[in-house]
Amino acid sequence: MNDLSEITNYLKGKKVRFADARENLFHEREILTEDTRVEHIDEQHVLGTGIKVLYENGWGYASTSAKDLDSLRKAADKALALAKHADKSASGKVELASEPKHVAKFVTKIKEDPLGVDIGDAVGVLIQAGETILKGKDVIKARGYLVLRNIKKKYANTEGSLIETNIYTVMPEIMAIARANGEVKSRHYRPSPMNAGYEYFRGLDLQPEAGRIAAQAREHCFAKACETGPATLILDPEHLSLTMHESVGHPTELDRVLGYEESCAGRSFATMDKLHKFKYGSEIVNLIADNTLEGGLASCGYDDEGVECQKWHIVKDGVLCGYGVNRELAHKMNLARANGTTKAANYFDVPITRIPNLYLAPGKKPLSFGELIADTENGIYIEGQGSFSIDQMRLNMQFGGDAFWEIKNGKLAGMLKNVTYNATSYEFWRACDAIADERFFKRSGTIICGKGDPMQLAQMTHGASPARFRNIMVRRSK
Amino acid sequence: MNKTDLIIEKVLKEPVTDHVVLSCSRAEAHSIRFSNNSVNRENLHKVEEEVKAEVGYEGRTGVYKTNDLSEDGIKHAVKKAYEAAKLLPKDPEYMPPVTREEAGAAKNFSPAFGEVSDERKYGILQAAFSEIKKAGLNSAGILSTNPYTVRVCNNKGVRASHSNCYSSFWLTAMTGNSSFKDFHITRDFSDYDEKTFVADIIAKTRLSKDPAPLDPGKYTVVLSPAAVEELLMKFLWYNIDAKAIDEGRSALSKRQGEKIAHESVHIYSRPDHEKVSLFPFSPADAMPYIDFDMIKDGKLASAWYSRFYAAKKGVRATGRGPGSVIFKGTDKPLDKLIANVENGLYVNSFWYVQLVDLMDGVFTGMTRDGLFRIKNGKLAGSANNFRFNQSVFDLLKNTAEIGREKNMTYTSIPPITVRDFNFVSKTEF
Ligand SMILES: [Zn+2]
Repeated sequence: MNDLSEITNYLKGKKVRFADARENLFHEREILTEDTRVEHIDEQHVLGTGIKVLYENGWGYASTSAKDLDSLRKAADKALALAKHADKSASGKVELASEPKHVAKFVTKIKEDPLGVDIGDAVGVLIQAGETILKGKDVIKARGYLVLRNIKKKYANTEGSLIETNIYTVMPEIMAIARANGEVKSRHYRPSPMNAGYEYFRGLDLQPEAGRIAAQAREHCFAKACETGPATLILDPEHLSLTMHESVGHPTELDRVLGYEESCAGRSFATMDKLHKFKYGSEIVNLIADNTLEGGLASCGYDDEGVECQKWHIVKDGVLCGYGVNRELAHKMNLARANGTTKAANYFDVPITRIPNLYLAPGKKPLSFGELIADTENGIYIEGQGSFSIDQMRLNMQFGGDAFWEIKNGKLAGMLKNVTYNATSYEFWRACDAIADERFFKRSGTIICGKGDPMQLAQMTHGASPARFRNIMVRRSK
Repeated sequence: MNKTDLIIEKVLKEPVTDHVVLSCSRAEAHSIRFSNNSVNRENLHKVEEEVKAEVGYEGRTGVYKTNDLSEDGIKHAVKKAYEAAKLLPKDPEYMPPVTREEAGAAKNFSPAFGEVSDERKYGILQAAFSEIKKAGLNSAGILSTNPYTVRVCNNKGVRASHSNCYSSFWLTAMTGNSSFKDFHITRDFSDYDEKTFVADIIAKTRLSKDPAPLDPGKYTVVLSPAAVEELLMKFLWYNIDAKAIDEGRSALSKRQGEKIAHESVHIYSRPDHEKVSLFPFSPADAMPYIDFDMIKDGKLASAWYSRFYAAKKGVRATGRGPGSVIFKGTDKPLDKLIANVENGLYVNSFWYVQLVDLMDGVFTGMTRDGLFRIKNGKLAGSANNFRFNQSVFDLLKNTAEIGREKNMTYTSIPPITVRDFNFVSKTEF
């Protein structure tokens, strides 16, 4: 930490308005199995320091993988030179929201370091699942996937903050592909990725799930094709996690809203004039951002601007009421403080606003999943994630799923295939008329959310209880 | 030899097993990102240097990557890769390191490129901002330069090395209710024509203002090279692996020998293409990239073969994927294609292209940054953006005209005219 403080002090002496230095270790092991063999393993250990400088109204960023003070100073000089260049074409005054000085540590609570365990253990578990999947009738392929991640950061800024974080992440998945009846269909089991130790992976019982997905992949091949037309949908938590990520998470990143991401990720329909007014969903829809959630993929104590992680509403009782906000843009919303969700993927990346842990609050009235199905005369129940696409303003969205069932007279009545649905994002959330209660809440999430240019990956948890959406346009995909 | 090379030689002199591959890469990128007509936030300079150690042990392969290029760092990576290999089950698809004979077949090319000074980069940006501001428009985009070197060395004597550079300038210009995007891909901007590039973007952006409401349906479309690339690359990625085809998990499984494209469609790879040439060999193992046809005379000509699968089938390895993808063009400029359409749409780019149905090659996506109506052979204002659900087989079969190739980072692709392109819904802008 001394070297980092020394760099921020050095830059202070160069009359910068603000500077920070972040040492960032990205250590990841990835295992991909195909049937009963290892198709691919990858382990990367990438360590370095990034330095960010605000000079007048220009930002500069430079980095180095060297650890000595001399190299750090050279990177600081480079960042300062870039900031001076950028200042010449700056369009307005940069105002940084204040943040208390933090001297703190944050560590994911774990029992067993996921990267300290022999790779053979996880490979064995995935291959065993593969063997079970391959026993399934008409199964032609089994896959297993596991990502184990450790991100360690040290952070210092010119305001005196000194922060250390140490995050562990585990993301497992298995898949079956079946071929029958002239069709090829896949089925996944994706336990929620978690910030956790290896004990989370050890605690999963993949065997029964492996058998189930093998059978369901085959069943999907014999499923009836869905009809095109408006339908009632019941969506499971894993599916909803992706819908909310795309149609609520991304459009409420304030940098996007204000045009900073136009060139790549795009902008947003959820503009600031709509704040506290716009009906984003029906009255039962509450979407909550919470980077303090224990085990949440975006829970890291403090973000890469030195801002403490927080909890806030994005949508409250159906109304848009918040954004993900960094220190530079907080004043545009008259916010005194950023909300702690600005991150960089690697030491050489500039921190940008990322989707926080974001979930749909469970229904307040007691309602089980079974009661929700029983209460639905006709419709489609969708589990898991499939095809997904949304325009750059985050309006026109089209989703598929991993598996589909017909709902007939309040009962699940066999699988369907070729289901996609299409809606405008706010019309979709306005069509939500029932959400199962907290007993049925499940987490999901992603570790590969892409944003920025050059592209950076980030991780965040989502979650929901199963929920019902009325009158959504379903289109048979072929 | 630099310091890293000396360490690599030292490690390979006494390899821990009979299979040690050390791939070393160095990329020095400067990315200047801008929006709202100014450089902000992501103005970054990065040097990524990394060594990947691959160690084989009795038919198993372990891997470990590090950016600690000290002797200890590289030795540690080899040790970790070796330890991992020992813990894995025997791989029926194990392949030993590439031999000197195999690697020797690589096409040797070393592109010339100059250094782009910071003054030049900011100069290009300032000039663009000033023209765009003058036109009363907003802008966003990125200018980046990326010189890189890769070196693959193994204990069988392979020493493959390649230096190259790719740079680009992506510029989106906006009115209050529309946008248009274009890009220039180059090695060092010596071929960048400032006047034409920015002027054309300004003209098209003005034309894109006030999109007219239009209903979805089947249209004759002229697709820009970027739009074709988006769809084609996704299609190839999902479908053209030889093993997947043989195992019945590709849309091409049931279409081998069948007509999958118009006879005029010729898609191939040429690693030493004059403009589109990133690597002569795979940066993973030094296996040479080769010339080969993917789609020719309306049919699948060759799939992509990994080294293992090529050996199994007795064919040449193409790599998964190959060194580049070239869609053979003609000498017709884009304007000529537009002139030959009486009533249709010009699609400047697609966005968020995703698979919908694997076995029939159906993809969805949105139009973005320029969807123009074509009336009597001329661009006639813009239309609201559409979502498509489109089979790539139908697209390739319904290709009516092919234009002049445009060089992109990894591909060289022409604009094409396609009949009956399937737009299924529209959006609000
Ligand atoms: Zn995302």
